[in-house]
Amino acid sequence: MGAITAKTNREAQRGNKKKAAAAPALKVILHLILWAVALLQIFPLIWLINYSFLKSGDFFGSGILKWPKSFEWNNYVNAFTYGSVPRFLLNSLMITTVTIVVAAFLALMLGYAFTRMEWKLRGPAMAFIMLGMIVPIHATLLPNFILFDKLNLIDNPLSLILPYIAFSLPISLLIISGFLETIPKSIEESAVMDGCSVFGVIFRIIMPMTKPAIATVCIMNFISWWNEFIMANTFLTSETFKTLPFSIMKFTGQYSSNYGAQFAVMTIIALPTVIIYLLFTEQMSRGITAGAVKG
Amino acid sequence: MHKLMSNRITIFWLVAPGFLLFLFMVCLPIIMSGYYGTTNWTGIGAYDFVGFDNYTKILFHDAVFWRSMLNALLLLAATLLIQHPIALLFAIFVTHAGKLEKWFRAIFFIPAVISIVVTSKMWVSVFHPNFGMLNKLLEGVGLSTWKQDWLGDPQIAIWCIVVVVMWQGFGYALLLYYAGLQGIPQDLFEAAELDGAGRVKLYTRVIIPLLSPMVRVAVVIAVTACLKQMETVFLMTNGGPANTTQFIGNYLYKTAFSSSLYGYGNAISVVFVIICLIVTMAMNKAFKKDVGEF
Repeated sequence: MGAITAKTNREAQRGNKKKAAAAPALKVILHLILWAVALLQIFPLIWLINYSFLKSGDFFGSGILKWPKSFEWNNYVNAFTYGSVPRFLLNSLMITTVTIVVAAFLALMLGYAFTRMEWKLRGPAMAFIMLGMIVPIHATLLPNFILFDKLNLIDNPLSLILPYIAFSLPISLLIISGFLETIPKSIEESAVMDGCSVFGVIFRIIMPMTKPAIATVCIMNFISWWNEFIMANTFLTSETFKTLPFSIMKFTGQYSSNYGAQFAVMTIIALPTVIIYLLFTEQMSRGITAGAVKG
Repeated sequence: MHKLMSNRITIFWLVAPGFLLFLFMVCLPIIMSGYYGTTNWTGIGAYDFVGFDNYTKILFHDAVFWRSMLNALLLLAATLLIQHPIALLFAIFVTHAGKLEKWFRAIFFIPAVISIVVTSKMWVSVFHPNFGMLNKLLEGVGLSTWKQDWLGDPQIAIWCIVVVVMWQGFGYALLLYYAGLQGIPQDLFEAAELDGAGRVKLYTRVIIPLLSPMVRVAVVIAVTACLKQMETVFLMTNGGPANTTQFIGNYLYKTAFSSSLYGYGNAISVVFVIICLIVTMAMNKAFKKDVGEF
């Protein structure tokens, strides 16, 4: 089914243009309905951005959206100062970057071993990793807390990076090996004839060719781990390595009445993933449907 | 070529890093949970081996555990009966949106990529009894008597959670159905007449039946997603009031870290994993025959 979807996708999209010629009145109604629900879906974003420019005193009253009397850029300044945004942003960047790069490398290596190499246990081994898609990350929180405690890794970025990579593997492997199966073997064969090693083949020939799949994997992993909260909340105890979502938690105590800055923080947390998603919608959609159909 | 491709040392170096990491971060914890689940450890100090006591207690005497399961079922029912039909309808609408097709698909998905911390916090403030947007809205349209402490009421809180989770997952369900529609051979659309009535018939008689493999996939995903629900609840109600919005993930977390019943929490973890495995495998098996035909 995955192959059919992938193959007909482009043809179908071309065909859609023809199909979309509906009666004008119907089309207007259709668009109105679509816009109404679309508005409901992006409302939080509009609301966050709107309120992030208001003065704290402006929040009360009856209006849902308000035109700011003057744009309160100060909220962003306060968000950066009280919300520890620069530090948490850097932590988030570091942790997600390491995670997505290593996860893509490991998944590529695994994918190559599972689709190209010949060994007896490859079927069961791949099925075993795929089981990881079923295991809820929440079930590993308690034992991993003890494990990291014993290894002295509590409050260490590794306590997030290691499980993040591990839980990225099943879906990443699925997407990369699915893509590898569509690449003809003849190019690799000639490279091997010329004396290239397997690792040479993977990193010099396969990696450039699998760029679209690797991009999909990286974007999907970026969005899920950038937003991850429960593990970060469990394994990090001090401020040193906390990630961006915790900026908002800083406002629950002392600065809790500083609503403007809270909304600025929320906007800062929400925007990166939305922008990355809008830039790479196609890759994301492809990855999600591929994962869903085969998983 | 064959010799190189079956070289054991190469295979070992390709597979070992990823496989070992997976083993240590995903499988080892579950085994550890199995062990701690047979003890009465509180997280610090000594502990006794209590055998299967925790497990029998979970399955036969733990009302909160069963409430968590019931909540997962409630959420699933709402997802399948309300969210999915609407998502399917809108997936069809989106394919007819012409130039804006891709934009609509992207916009509908946005709540799914915004951090749950942000969306949860937003919804908490929407439901706030004093200055929440929902109560203000009700007052604005003259329905002041409907005003509530939405998340504080044991009867209502779970439905608020259901609404939020449905809202957040809407784009995901839509995307699945949209992809399913893209996979349907184009000549089927062209063969049918495309005026209003003809189109409705085309969808109910031809297209939607053809989508059934994707519907099954979406159902499997919805079931596991409802079982695994945690973050939204953790951030919005933490299972309260009085455990009426409890889900297994949040319950095991709370049991271990707030109630200091570490052994018992681990036993819940193990039961959780087993339920997920059984449910997923049973569904895959039941659906496998038909999915293969597509």
